[in-house]
Amino acid sequence: MSQTTTAATMHTEDVSVWFGQRQVLDKVNLTFPSHQVTALIGPSGCGKSTFIRTLNRMHELIPGAGLAGSVFLDGGDIYGEDVDAVDVRINIGMVFQKPNPFPTMSIKENILSGLRLSGRKINGADEIVETSLRRASMWNEVKDRLNDQALSLSGGQQQRLCIARSLAMNPKVLLMDEPCSALDPGSTRRIEETIKELSSQMTIVIVTHNMQQAQRVSHQTAFFLADDNTPGGVVEFGPTEMVFKNPQDPRTNDYVNGHFG
Amino acid sequence: MSNFLERPSVQPWARVKKSQQLELILASVLPTVIALFVVNVFGVHGAFGMITVFLPLQILAAGFVGVRRFGKKGFGDSLLLVSTISFAALVAVLLLSVLYSVIIKGFPALSAHFITQNNVYVSTTTSLEYGGVGHAILGTLLVVVLATLAAVPLGLAMAVFLTQSQSRLTGPVRSFTQALAGLPSIVSGLFILSILPFLGMERSGLAGAMALFPLMLPTVARVAEEALRLVPADLRMAALALGAPNYRAFFQVILPAAKSGVVTAVLLGLARIVGETAPLILTLNANVSTNLNPFEGGIAALPTYVYGFISSGYDTSLSRAWGAALVLVILVGILFGLARVFSRSKSLKTKSSSKKKGNK
Repeated sequence: MSQTTTAATMHTEDVSVWFGQRQVLDKVNLTFPSHQVTALIGPSGCGKSTFIRTLNRMHELIPGAGLAGSVFLDGGDIYGEDVDAVDVRINIGMVFQKPNPFPTMSIKENILSGLRLSGRKINGADEIVETSLRRASMWNEVKDRLNDQALSLSGGQQQRLCIARSLAMNPKVLLMDEPCSALDPGSTRRIEETIKELSSQMTIVIVTHNMQQAQRVSHQTAFFLADDNTPGGVVEFGPTEMVFKNPQDPRTNDYVNGHFG
Repeated sequence: MSNFLERPSVQPWARVKKSQQLELILASVLPTVIALFVVNVFGVHGAFGMITVFLPLQILAAGFVGVRRFGKKGFGDSLLLVSTISFAALVAVLLLSVLYSVIIKGFPALSAHFITQNNVYVSTTTSLEYGGVGHAILGTLLVVVLATLAAVPLGLAMAVFLTQSQSRLTGPVRSFTQALAGLPSIVSGLFILSILPFLGMERSGLAGAMALFPLMLPTVARVAEEALRLVPADLRMAALALGAPNYRAFFQVILPAAKSGVVTAVLLGLARIVGETAPLILTLNANVSTNLNPFEGGIAALPTYVYGFISSGYDTSLSRAWGAALVLVILVGILFGLARVFSRSKSLKTKSSSKKKGNK
């Protein structure tokens, strides 16, 4: 059932970000190896959500946003001069904090929407729908109501539908920006299971405020922090177990043990 | 189960006690009774009586009950309640009385031939058995459709520009649209009339449509802008994150989500121009026969027909004018109904088709 996906390695070089005159990120260097889940943690306002948006060029859609540095996908700079942002986003999927299925479309149409929106031909629609929903582990729940409106689903199901919608595109990398923060514990658990299964097929980057979640799902963790009035940056980056059990930086220690933030 | 039903009856918690209910009834009925009494005995009538006698009494009574039940806060609440209900009723009365007088005065003129025939051989005193507004109905439809064909695409394009673009020109374009919305309709008619010689045109259906166009455009643009603005930015982001170019994100996600609002924009634009009289008097060359050529020859429209016959003052011509007014109101009603059905039918279609596919 599971499709073989060409997972890709991503890495960033000196990524700095501005909103207008204000710098919010300073020289972030991270590597996301293929088949690995990387968790981005840190207090609110440290720039981790901003950072994840630079990885698929969603950042540049915000008015006044500026960027320096490079992001490489399998060695090619996604900010290269002849690279189209639209092609980047086809290869690098994104799941948002709030479930955002398309309200005018059915469950099935939502799954196929990515292919339609990016102007690709759809061969074997039913198979794509089934595979994508199975990969998001919700096929059994919705297989009898594929033509129902997407908004008839519960919040947790909607979020998994959004994941399935991204998976239908067969992305090399999946970015998730706090995908469980609007969901109940049961839905959160199911999404975490999905993430673990998907990690064998693709590269995943997930922003989370939930320390336990980061430990449960990720292989490596990056801790972001922005001191007062300075741009945010990575304080510590390493295997998840190291970051949580044996942090090198006292600030990381304080944060993962709940002393601040 | 039966046990549950036979359980000794537990009374649900009563929100309003019996004595309070009595107070409420008294407070609603007494002011009306007193007002009726005063109106009949002292002979203050109509709106004057409503405002000077009934409204203060009702406010007093509601205020009294409000204070008794909720203390000082209750007075403000009751005041708000009475005034909102009164003014909402006033709006309903205004609308209904307009409809009432149009129907009462226009109905006698209505007949099959009144709707289908044109006005050739009809003078102001000809009896209602002859002639009709058929030519004016067609003329109105022709002129309005022409104006709509130009104003809707352009208005929607403006709305898209105002909501989707990050250009610095959005501010000026928005103020320009608002200024255009304030353009008096007769000025629009005068303007078109004055440029007709330069265009080498005569007064015609096309000229009428040109005069209506600047009136419809800002309404469509502004209402469609509001509709598009209500679509959550999340949806656009989701579409772009899936690798959609801007135009596909717009046509496949944003526009469908705003569809009912966009239909409303077109409807309000139609409503704005379908009854316009002044610009059409200036730019159409009134005609009594049917003419479907917008480029030359006189053409009649319902509003100009009403104006023409109401000006002459004979009983028969007044009846014709009211009849035409009723036809205009019905026409607007049909347009609104059609647009509503059209905007809803698509979602119904997807639902029924989903059932079919689901069964197979």
